[in-house]
Amino acid sequence: MNRAAKALAVPALLLVAAEIATRLSGTTSLAVAPPSSVAVALLAALGDGTMLAATRDTLACAFGGLFVGGAIGLVLGLLFGLVRPLDRLMELTVEAIRPIPSVALIPIGMLSLGFGYSFEIAIVAFACVWTMLIMTRAAIGGIEPRLLEVSRALRLSTLQRIFKIVIPAALPRIIVAFRLAAGFALVVAVTVEIAANPQGMGYGILIAQQSLSPQLMLAYLLWIGLVGYGLNVLLSLAQQRLLGRAAMGEVRQ
Amino acid sequence: MERADLHGLAEAGACAVGAAAIEFHNVDLSYSGKPILAGLSLAVGKGEIVCVIGPSGCGKTTALRVAGGLIKPDSGSVKVGGKPVTGPRRDVAIVFQDYGKALLPWRTAAGNVSLALEAAGTPARQRKERIHALLEKVGLHGHADKYPTEMSGGMQQRLQIARCLAQEPSVLLMDEPFGALDAMTRQTLQDEMLSIAAETGATVFFVTHDLEEAIYLGDRVIGLLPNPGRIGTIAKVTLPRPRNQLETREMAEFLRLRRALFDFIGKAEG
Amino acid sequence: MNGRRVLWLAGSFLVAAGFVWIWQWIADHRLISPVFLPGPDRAWAALVKGMTDGDLTEKLFATIRRMIYGWLLASLVGIALGAAIGTSKALREYLAPMFEFLRPLPASAIIPVAIALLGLSDPMALAVIAFGSLWPVLLATIHGFSAVEPRLYEVGRALRLSRPAVIFKIALPSASPDILAGMRLGLTVALILSVVCEMLAGRDGLGNWILLSARSFRAPDLYAGVILLGVLGYVSSMAIAAVEHRLLIWRGRAR
Repeated sequence: MNRAAKALAVPALLLVAAEIATRLSGTTSLAVAPPSSVAVALLAALGDGTMLAATRDTLACAFGGLFVGGAIGLVLGLLFGLVRPLDRLMELTVEAIRPIPSVALIPIGMLSLGFGYSFEIAIVAFACVWTMLIMTRAAIGGIEPRLLEVSRALRLSTLQRIFKIVIPAALPRIIVAFRLAAGFALVVAVTVEIAANPQGMGYGILIAQQSLSPQLMLAYLLWIGLVGYGLNVLLSLAQQRLLGRAAMGEVRQ
Repeated sequence: MERADLHGLAEAGACAVGAAAIEFHNVDLSYSGKPILAGLSLAVGKGEIVCVIGPSGCGKTTALRVAGGLIKPDSGSVKVGGKPVTGPRRDVAIVFQDYGKALLPWRTAAGNVSLALEAAGTPARQRKERIHALLEKVGLHGHADKYPTEMSGGMQQRLQIARCLAQEPSVLLMDEPFGALDAMTRQTLQDEMLSIAAETGATVFFVTHDLEEAIYLGDRVIGLLPNPGRIGTIAKVTLPRPRNQLETREMAEFLRLRRALFDFIGKAEG
Repeated sequence: MNGRRVLWLAGSFLVAAGFVWIWQWIADHRLISPVFLPGPDRAWAALVKGMTDGDLTEKLFATIRRMIYGWLLASLVGIALGAAIGTSKALREYLAPMFEFLRPLPASAIIPVAIALLGLSDPMALAVIAFGSLWPVLLATIHGFSAVEPRLYEVGRALRLSRPAVIFKIALPSASPDILAGMRLGLTVALILSVVCEMLAGRDGLGNWILLSARSFRAPDLYAGVILLGVLGYVSSMAIAAVEHRLLIWRGRAR
């Protein structure tokens, strides 16, 4: 059996088993539905545009938060990485705020911003800042010391050193950080929608559950999985294009 | 080289010593269709030190792994101590070249030696003393609590040897054990290996790519030919023991053997 | 700890104190409505009051219990499953692609399904937390077990170690750095999902506390809860870092 067949064997088996089990049991459940009716519900929800609109809202917030939080994290990470005294002075402040779970800010966001895009973007941004900050700072700290010696031997100015040596050398790991933060952004956006914000895919799946429509709920679950997987594939393709295959190994860090 | 000659050499290899510690008999082995060993026959006498050299791809490491029971030959038989090899055995110890990978990085020096004792079911009470003695024997006295990452390459290889000695082996299979070490460390370890072999009376099957090392250590040097691996030459080393890094290497016989084996390798590679 | 390090710490403490002072100043001058942003004095007072009369302490421990139970369950299942899959090439070929698909799925998306199955209950919360923190542990364990140096397995064979001995003396310690990294990530996920489940299902705990405080405009209580969640996040990550340091001491002591 080739690799693709092996990869599909177990999921296919599970789907068939689920189909048979749900059909045979005959009872109408609030939690499970035959895969075939989930597929029908998925196509219907995609067809009438509601699911696509929800996807648009979620992705808008995820990317909005990613860019705001990522930019803040990148700038702070570069600053802290380049100016060590600043990093040390900010240590306690950063370590005090960073461990706050992003979802703990949901009630504060609800109070101060109300429901909507800006609320969700703010929470996602908070979650993305830290990944970007920590990894950018580490990327700069991890630059081969020999390269910095080269820049001194060549008598480069500080600005030249930053733009010709430091940032290019740290770039591969910064791109990896961005990819991790992007995956994180989608997770946080969906979580905020499920927990509080009445919009997007997270709200869609919650409403499907509350309206006792298990096939639509599972269709949303499947769709969220597909969107997450698609985003992941796109990002790793982009990373490969940007960095070449040699740098892919760093993802694990 | 002619076929008839090869056969004669194989016979010579098989009949060189009476009581054999390791016996290869007509061993064939191929890997995904490519023959690695073809009709290998060789006998190593008890307490003998046999060094195996040859260009890359001649199957010298494969032969060692067959003797260690790590791989099974396609046909032919291998016996150690008169008994057929069916798998790894406690009386056969293997010293790997890549000591960095073959030691458990999460165990200290003492812990790594202990692994062999645990495998042999030595009671916990007796282990400590044995470990101490073994570490002392390989010159690691006082380093028992160090982790492998805290040790130099030479120390790590000594540690691996200590772990192998903990098996109390009658046969030591050594796969280019000193290949990755610097010249000075290598010479020290060569001498220590010789004295350990003399002390324990163990049979040594030593694979190396260093001709001088092979002559310096061995009672015999076996030269393998590549594609497929088979015996190309057998050189008996009559240099007196104990050997000496300076004097032995300056002897006329040493230089003659070095020349002969150098020519052999040159032809084998060509 | 040397003198210079102490000086830097003192400096960074002063900076943090400066930020708290700015926060206080903003609150005092009502630059941001106190409905949204109480001063640190009021948040602190609410925290102290909540801790002394026991309300907040109770919520804190409810959240800790939920987080730890879910995380332990996930760790046990994740390590056992991961070890089985990681040591078997066949299992990996059949299951790894499916896991790659499931990995980016936001764990919180499973909450509505869990509610449909188990209702707004504690078992529901436990199931969600365990499911969410299972993935980091499982995937890291699979990686750890499949990345064991093949030479070490050969050493195990050469020494004729038994199969359990190979697993417990070679494979498990070798995979332990990956497993611990997965468990650390799993603990973070467990805390986040505990808070979300408490908010959604109204289960007792800090998540529910901060949501109710926000709904009834008790901003100082809300901030006290958020501060406690931050402390919980910090302490749990410190604790697991200490365990990692202790267990992985052999990695740090490089030449």
